[in-house]
Amino acid sequence: MSRLEDELRNALRREEPPQGFASRVLARAEAGPAPRRWFAWPPLRWASALTAVAVIAGGLTYERERRMRAEGERAKEQVLLALHITGSKLQFVKEKIHEMDSRR
Amino acid sequence: MRWIRGVSLSLLLLTAAAAQEIKFPADLASRATESVDVSLPGNMLQLASKFLSGSKPDEAQAKKLIANLKAIYVKAYEFDKPGQYSDADIESVRAQVRGAPWTRILGAQSRKDGETAEIYIKSEKDVIDGLLIIAAEPKELTFVHILGPIDPEQIANLSGKFGIPKLNLTPGRKKD
Repeated sequence: MSRLEDELRNALRREEPPQGFASRVLARAEAGPAPRRWFAWPPLRWASALTAVAVIAGGLTYERERRMRAEGERAKEQVLLALHITGSKLQFVKEKIHEMDSRR
Repeated sequence: MRWIRGVSLSLLLLTAAAAQEIKFPADLASRATESVDVSLPGNMLQLASKFLSGSKPDEAQAKKLIANLKAIYVKAYEFDKPGQYSDADIESVRAQVRGAPWTRILGAQSRKDGETAEIYIKSEKDVIDGLLIIAAEPKELTFVHILGPIDPEQIANLSGKFGIPKLNLTPGRKKD
């Protein structure tokens, strides 16, 4: 016998399965296929993606409007402040003119 | 080539718009103990207009007043002691409104009290297109610059609101 034949015989020799292997295979076969995950359902996947996009878009729109509102309120306050200062300075000019007129 | 013409035209318009604005001394704020700097270009006025209530009388009047304005600039400085600003500071502003289309319609100066009060209007074809107020006291200096068509009636209507007194801002009236 050559050494090669010995090695082949050794490699291809019958091996007994571990104890209980056959019963485990049969039990698995009776249980049917493994249940699919709920997320794997394509319409649900699309719905989830669309919801995520809608939530992000909504958040961005809300943030933009919030900033716009804050800027608008600030601009409004500035206008009212500017008009208030304008008013008080017009009053100042008026008083100075009156003072000057009364001195004449 | 058309875009170059477009860009050039835009730059010219921007330069023209900038040329209408008065330059105020830049370093006054650093010398002042308190300062108010309100700069409201046209787009900010439009934005503010959207937030001014049409139902509250004061805000409705303000909304109407700013509707056609191009800009409002207010620079107000308060100093802790007299002599913190110089005549040159005022003169640098005054020099920009000397001559057409600007006219000084009201002016009062008290050297004794160190007070100056002046109103200039920019008028074109009997339409007031700008207003400059210079109010100087020993420890206070204020410049108010309003750009755009101002209806004297509207300012008169604001009388009593925002502390605005009745003033005759008719172009051509001069009082020194």
